[in-house]
Amino acid sequence: MSSTSTDVEELPDAASASAGPIKLGPSKAQVVAQYLLGMGVALVPFAVLYNDFYWINILTFAYLMAGLASAWNIIGGFGGQFSLAHGAVFGVGAYFAGQMCLIYGLSPWLAMPIGAVLVAAIAVLISWPTFRLRGPFFAIATMAFNEVVAVFANYSETLTGGARGLLIPFRASFANMIFVERWKSTLLMFVYMAFVAGISVAIRHSRLGYYLLSVREDEDSARASGVNVVAVKLWGMAISAALTAIGGTLFAMFIRFLDPPTLFSLPEVGVKFALLSLIGGVGTIWGPLLGAALVIPLENFIRATLGGLPGVHLVILGLLLMLAARFLKRGIVGALGAIRWPRWMSRR
Amino acid sequence: MSPDFLTVKDVSKNFDGFIAVDQVSFSVEQGEMISIIGPNGAGKTTLFNMLTGQLRPTAGEVYFRGQIINQLPPHRRARLGMGRTFQIAKPLIALNALENVMIGAFLHRRPLSEARDHAYEILKEIGLASRALRRASELTLSERRRLEVARALALDPQIILLDEVMAGLNASEIEQAIELFHRLHARGLTLLVIEHNLRVVRALSQRVIVLDHGISIAEGGAEDILRAPEVVAAYLGRRREWTPS
Amino acid sequence: MDNIVTILIYGLLLGGIYGLVSIGLTLIFGVIRITNFAHGEILMIGMYGTYFVYAWTGMSPYAALFVVVPAMFVVGLLVQRLLIQPLLNEPMMQIFVTFGLLIFLENFVLMLTQGAALGIPSDNGPQVISLLGNKVSIAQIFAFAASTLIAIGLHLFLNYTMMGKAIRAVTQDKRAAATMGINVNRIFLLTFGIGTAITGVASVFLTPIYTLSPTIGGNFVLAAFAVVVLGGLGSVWGAYIAGLIIGVVEAFAGFYIDPTLKSAVWFLIFIAVLIVRPSGLFGIVGAEEVGFREQH
Repeated sequence: MSSTSTDVEELPDAASASAGPIKLGPSKAQVVAQYLLGMGVALVPFAVLYNDFYWINILTFAYLMAGLASAWNIIGGFGGQFSLAHGAVFGVGAYFAGQMCLIYGLSPWLAMPIGAVLVAAIAVLISWPTFRLRGPFFAIATMAFNEVVAVFANYSETLTGGARGLLIPFRASFANMIFVERWKSTLLMFVYMAFVAGISVAIRHSRLGYYLLSVREDEDSARASGVNVVAVKLWGMAISAALTAIGGTLFAMFIRFLDPPTLFSLPEVGVKFALLSLIGGVGTIWGPLLGAALVIPLENFIRATLGGLPGVHLVILGLLLMLAARFLKRGIVGALGAIRWPRWMSRR
Repeated sequence: MSPDFLTVKDVSKNFDGFIAVDQVSFSVEQGEMISIIGPNGAGKTTLFNMLTGQLRPTAGEVYFRGQIINQLPPHRRARLGMGRTFQIAKPLIALNALENVMIGAFLHRRPLSEARDHAYEILKEIGLASRALRRASELTLSERRRLEVARALALDPQIILLDEVMAGLNASEIEQAIELFHRLHARGLTLLVIEHNLRVVRALSQRVIVLDHGISIAEGGAEDILRAPEVVAAYLGRRREWTPS
Repeated sequence: MDNIVTILIYGLLLGGIYGLVSIGLTLIFGVIRITNFAHGEILMIGMYGTYFVYAWTGMSPYAALFVVVPAMFVVGLLVQRLLIQPLLNEPMMQIFVTFGLLIFLENFVLMLTQGAALGIPSDNGPQVISLLGNKVSIAQIFAFAASTLIAIGLHLFLNYTMMGKAIRAVTQDKRAAATMGINVNRIFLLTFGIGTAITGVASVFLTPIYTLSPTIGGNFVLAAFAVVVLGGLGSVWGAYIAGLIIGVVEAFAGFYIDPTLKSAVWFLIFIAVLIVRPSGLFGIVGAEEVGFREQH
């Protein structure tokens, strides 16, 4: 028997006298409290910097990316399925909202759920052939899908404005999701992040969450335990894609200029979501958020100081990715997890 | 007791020319304890895999609870009441023991708290309750074996297929395991066991089926089977007269 | 009718290039079972290497073969030893690390060349000959020939040399191979080196044909994946033949529909293969639900 002590005490055996209710995992109240606490902490930078013109932009972007990374993490982290389609999903969500606004004057608030469902359906469709298989096919297929969508977006003038892109005119109103005061956009992004993080927490502590983890760990084992592996992957992908598309809508109305390189560049968008999750801790709830909190400001700093030479900040990003994959697999959350914490904090 | 609980009819598995299982037939009644024995490479695990759905038979039918299940995927068979353990234990490493068992518990219980409580009950039954919050990677071999069984039990199965679950355990661990299985059997669980250990075979069999080179060569009560010449020959070879040249 | 022959010739020559680019990828995948997402970028640095050898020494780019290929072999050894070997049991980290390599290489070259477009000028490089009444670049013929020779050479190597047989053993079952006394890690190193060296050959033959840019790798990598999947993961002849098929299909699709939609062609072929016959045409490594044997 292992005699190493861990941050967990031994539980009394069934044979010994009852020691009262056994603590098998965090209670619902604890989970909610942790979530609220985390959101509170995440709100602090906003409260401090909402008037700072330089920082407010970074913060807006950081909140958005935190939400997008969390969304990716649902299928990529919990489910262990490395999706490279999320950039495409993000882009399609953005274009959809943009075009609905430009062509039909449809409020992005309405376009958002429609786009989310549409995109989720497409994502499920392209994922299904690969989910029945093992091996790298899902990653490759999603990468190819990203490329196809990017090429298509470049090509189709009518659907996406082609290479010229789409410009959404600045008509500030709540219904248009366009705001005069910057901090309102920032707050909206925060709400998005909180929303995605909340869903992430809910999934993690539900049957779907456990099923996703089991699929990630060992598909055969999961099947023998009654898990419909393909269905679980599809659900994870659908939810993840829908949330990402919603982020796309928000992005579209914030930046108001959409073109293929902005939306479909893998290192800037698609892989970025995965990178943030990795740095923070892939497969954890707080990992993607921490990753965004760290990397987005860092990126900005690098771009600002070394922006002269083209490609420099991506060189650093690439190095970061390689080093993290080699030496920091569990991300920051994992590294923190190696330290002893009091029992009331959950392990993941 | 339904005679059509688990029936295997002329089941064969042909791997590109290599016939691993050749027209094997037998029936298991609900509530029975059956052992499948045979030398290494006899096709026992392949047979199991066809029962649980990891492999499809190239010929023959498998019936479970009255339905033909040849095409049914493994998770659906789990739903029908078939639980199994793997020869090489496959716990979900990043999760703790409790969560490992919860996966199976979720089959019949949606809410998290119910699944968790049920999983804990099973761990208590199995004797792993004190290790419930340990990561699966921290468990010893014997504990992992027990975890495998717990995960199968979490499905509330009607039949459990145990693939060499005693391999690598010491004598006292084996006795504990036998006692556990007798308890479960007394409660109505049907057992289908692949085993090498004769003590276990004697303890856990109302009937024994012997496989050799993919063929079922004998079937009967434990004592008779273990003494039967063809069974001994399958394991040890035939006795030959040695004549000096 | 003339058109069809022209398109066919163009497609076959393109297919030869695709085969050449994909053979290294499929070898690596078949043996080590990893997906090298940086494959296109490795091709790219081989091409830049070839160009610089030509630019600095005035050597014919084909002569640069003797410099580039050994250099690429070493690059392959380094990548395998430093990035892949430590992550052999972590498939998700493998994807991350090869993607990191992709981003790093692409932007490193971008940084170095400041985005200048480089290419071997046509009076110095490819000439045009007439084939069946069609104008064809001789550089493309060379590439086709190289592809065929590599496929044959690799086939002979894998089937008739001790080293090749060891590689095939590891492809089939690395645990069994290890019990036979084969040093699996060394085989992995060798394979990644050979695969990268072959990609080096590809880059030499491609440099006279294309204008270089840091992103040129991306043009090939998706086609390469489609080729590898269609041909069957791990099958050298599969990659060769699938390359030809995809080249021809792309040529016809480009003519009758639109050349910019070629990535759609690759994607559709890829998905179609996975739905209909996941192991591809000549797959050694089966990819069906049950067939993809986990190598513990």
